[in-house]
Amino acid sequence: MTTVFHPLVKRFLDGELHLADLPPELHAEARAAERLLGAVDRAAVTLPAGLDARVMAEVRKRATAPSGARRWWHGLVASREIRVRYRLWTLGPALAAAAALVLLLTPARPVVEAGMPVVATAPESVFVRFVLFAPGAHQVSVAGTFNQWSVTAAPLALTGAAGVWTATVALPVGQHQYAFVVDGRRWVNDPAAPTVDDGFGRRNSVMAVGAGVRAL
Amino acid sequence: MGTRTDGEIVRAVLAGDTEQYAELVRHYRDRYARFAARMLGSADEAEDAVQDAFIRAFEQLQQCRDPDNFAGWFFLILRNRCLAERRRAVRAGPGGDAVTVPATERADGPLEQDERRRALQQALLELTPEQREVFVLKHVEDLSYEEIAGRLGASVPSLKMRMHRAYDRLRERLKDVL
Repeated sequence: MTTVFHPLVKRFLDGELHLADLPPELHAEARAAERLLGAVDRAAVTLPAGLDARVMAEVRKRATAPSGARRWWHGLVASREIRVRYRLWTLGPALAAAAALVLLLTPARPVVEAGMPVVATAPESVFVRFVLFAPGAHQVSVAGTFNQWSVTAAPLALTGAAGVWTATVALPVGQHQYAFVVDGRRWVNDPAAPTVDDGFGRRNSVMAVGAGVRAL
Repeated sequence: MGTRTDGEIVRAVLAGDTEQYAELVRHYRDRYARFAARMLGSADEAEDAVQDAFIRAFEQLQQCRDPDNFAGWFFLILRNRCLAERRRAVRAGPGGDAVTVPATERADGPLEQDERRRALQQALLELTPEQREVFVLKHVEDLSYEEIAGRLGASVPSLKMRMHRAYDRLRERLKDVL
């Protein structure tokens, strides 16, 4: 028995169709869909009053000590050059490594070859080639600040080389945090790129890209 | 005295009147708590997320390009916090997700309804964070696809694709209670 909704029932769930719009044979499925939506908990959530005091205590602390955390944060996000080194890297038998190669979008510039360290410089749009060596993976994508951390927006394709996945993605100039997603679940940082604290206790790979690029 | 706009408050905070920030906290703390609770699976985690997001927003307030749209900007910070938390749960692997309690419990509903509600809340935790985000924004926050696209900077077709995959996963997961 199928456990996926008929496309018309999905439109019914989306509110685009009414029950009367559906053929009779889909009514039972539509009623199951109604039960699903009926189970959605829309109750308001009221947070404890103490939250305001805790936030403001922290805010006051940070406001009166501007040279600490703020300076540290701005140091992380401020636009600057960073080096992105392209290299295959092995993490282990099940999963391996990754690298991001910054390629120049502007015409008449030499393409940087794999294995060549590069520096990204000035502002414009650039292509970034992401490479992940992940033998045994069934699906790989790259998610980051440039695609709202979508695990589906930038899939990598398996190349001829065994276990090597690549994708070339046009990115706006600036700093980008990212990670690779293997089989839709496993998040892997790029060991060949710097990482930054994401502010919530983990680290993300980071790159800075620009319109100019040159070999080191 | 007239109500001050978010833009006026943000500008006052940036000018050094830190105490004004409390008004933004009061205004938005509960407005986005439900989103966080449904994304994370519990009111406790939502409280942590909202608190972190407010502190993070204060730290980055100078980067709020449109102070009159503080709400939309803050939402993205909170949303990123929730996605990061979900990624952490996925990285932790099976058992690393401590969320098992539905955000609200109701004693007045039929048992079957409660069971279905609990099952759905658990099933939502098993969606990808991106799928769950779209589901929560549409079916909990009651936003249209166009409104969600505007908030997240995503296209409507991509949001629908996420949602329709979510429907199928939910149906598979809930086949015994639907």
